[in-house]
Amino acid sequence: MTRPGRDEDPDRLYTVTGGRSRSTTGADTFDLVTLVVSESAPVRGMQSEHAAILRICRFPTAVVELASDLGLPVSVVRILLGDLLAQGKITARHPRRARTADALPDPDILKQVLVGLRNI
Amino acid sequence: MTSPEIAPPPAAGAGQPAAGSAQPVTGSIQPTVHAGQPAAAGDGTAAGTALALLISVVVAGAACLIAVYSSAESARAGVAWGTGAAGAVLCAAVTVAAHARLTSRSLRAAVSAGQTRLAEREAADNYFADGTVPAVVERLRRGGSAETALAEAPPVSSEAQRRVLISLAREVHRGENMRAAAMSACANAAGRVQALATSMAADLREMEHRHADEDVLADLLELDHRNAQMGRIADSIAVLTGARSGRRWAKPIVMESILRGAMGRISGYQRVRLHSTSEVAIAGHAAEGVMHLLAELMDNAANFSPPTSEVHVYVEEVAAGVVITIEDGGLVMGEVALRRAQQAVSADHGDLTTLSGTRLGLAVVGRLARKHGLSVSFRPSAHGGTGVLVRIPRELLTERRREEPAPMPPAAEPAPAPRASLGAQSTPPPTDHVRPVTEHSGPAADHAGQQDPARPAQQRAEGHDQQGSGGYANAAPPPQVYGESGLPKRRRGQTLAAVARATAASSQTERSQSGAEHGAGEEAAADGTSPAAGRAKRPSGTRFGDFRRAVQGTGDPEESGTSSPSSPTRSSSLSEDDTE
Repeated sequence: MTRPGRDEDPDRLYTVTGGRSRSTTGADTFDLVTLVVSESAPVRGMQSEHAAILRICRFPTAVVELASDLGLPVSVVRILLGDLLAQGKITARHPRRARTADALPDPDILKQVLVGLRNI
Repeated sequence: MTSPEIAPPPAAGAGQPAAGSAQPVTGSIQPTVHAGQPAAAGDGTAAGTALALLISVVVAGAACLIAVYSSAESARAGVAWGTGAAGAVLCAAVTVAAHARLTSRSLRAAVSAGQTRLAEREAADNYFADGTVPAVVERLRRGGSAETALAEAPPVSSEAQRRVLISLAREVHRGENMRAAAMSACANAAGRVQALATSMAADLREMEHRHADEDVLADLLELDHRNAQMGRIADSIAVLTGARSGRRWAKPIVMESILRGAMGRISGYQRVRLHSTSEVAIAGHAAEGVMHLLAELMDNAANFSPPTSEVHVYVEEVAAGVVITIEDGGLVMGEVALRRAQQAVSADHGDLTTLSGTRLGLAVVGRLARKHGLSVSFRPSAHGGTGVLVRIPRELLTERRREEPAPMPPAAEPAPAPRASLGAQSTPPPTDHVRPVTEHSGPAADHAGQQDPARPAQQRAEGHDQQGSGGYANAAPPPQVYGESGLPKRRRGQTLAAVARATAASSQTERSQSGAEHGAGEEAAADGTSPAAGRAKRPSGTRFGDFRRAVQGTGDPEESGTSSPSSPTRSSSLSEDDTE
């Protein structure tokens, strides 16, 4: 947490999300390890959390790391990410997509692994 | 002749306010008694009449005798009778005249004395009404007891006034006691509710962090909102009863947080639209008051506008401070209403007599505005409703920017140690003499980053140029360098393979010069002579980087030359290479 003392931030979470408690994009769009990449720079007048997300996500960042960096619950971060995604300011990458497609890794990769291990 | 004596002035000097010397207790308030006038006047009249009778008898008698003795002998009896009768009649007439004259004079004197006394009594009454009673009431309002107030009161001129004053003092004292007791009870209750609301807010925030379930979060947010509204009402009562403000913020609060903190305390916060690009922050001691004031004004705006319309909040930085405009699309306030609202927020009296019972908002706003030197003015809004302008004076502002969302560790001292050890494990600096520099510049940039985010970026950039690939600490992206755990962060998107390539690109000799405790493992891994030793020493990501490098062949030299080695990995963040 980013709060050393007791509740040192006057912002309440419902004001951060504008009263929403559910992500508009659905729960499966962002899971904990979804990598988020910002597609545009923060602009002046943006909500500070949005700007912070865009700054942090200049390089792919997992949702859970975002939540930790922002000091916000993951659910709230999801809502914020949903906003940004709807505006097209970020893209989400699903790291496990390739693996869930088929249970086993690509034989080529396995081959590369083998070669690599030998080279080590 | 004996004129009736003028009534002496009342002994106690009831007409003179200067008689304020402290006298003993209530017994001092004694009416002064006037001496009786009519008896003296009556005596004077009788004496005067007798004197007149005596003189007239003597004169008439003498005249009679002279007339009798000077007249002829024959006519003496007739003359005697005649003059005697005439003398008697004359005496009677003179006596009656003298008596009437004296009586009228004495009555006139009595009337004028009565008038004088009446005027004096009137003056005394006036003084009692205008001087004594207000003085006693004022003394009681200042907190004196009834006895003290009566003792200090100027003396009164009559028993009736004394009784009136005593019963008045007792009543006012009782009322004052009740008022004070009610105020302190309210203040105390408000303070307790404030404390409860504050601790509940902290608890709710903690729960919001703990429960990831969206349903639970929704409920918690709802509770949080209700709690914030409750806290605002408690704050309002505390402000009106003169208790101290509920919360104090130790640090300056940026404008965005101020506005959101304010809107979070009203029921219709979802209708509030913030338009703020201001970076200013409000000093911690005033932040709570400003937030509360804005919340009350926003609440007014939201309550007095249609439920579907929005309330717009604009922030404008001006020379004299910051002007916050709250505009609603509700009813246009008439001239009278505007004036009354203006009066309510700028009235200089501190009592609650104008409080209507249900509309506390503007009274609270007035109190807070006076306390913090804010100016509040109302005007018709361009949105069709009413606009409120709040000017926050420059004294309450600081230019502190919002904290970076990924906060730097406040203490930079612990940071170098883990960074050094981690760096040693994955990417040892090429030479020994570089490392202290980087270690030193890391915390420096880090520390500066908390105060001014713009400058450290520049510093980091300079450091990057100067130290090239040598300073791993400088290779981190400008927004964040270290995680909150104090550990350095790997730059996003830069694979550990690049780190490893950079490692491979650095010469063997340089690496052998670096820290002896890790050198063996590093060399072994790079040489490929003892993979097991390398694996044991290095994080899995780095091992994988080596593997990747092995697959792809040696890293191309230009990349390792241009891209500085990234900051070492956190053990918690796995490389995306693992998952792709």
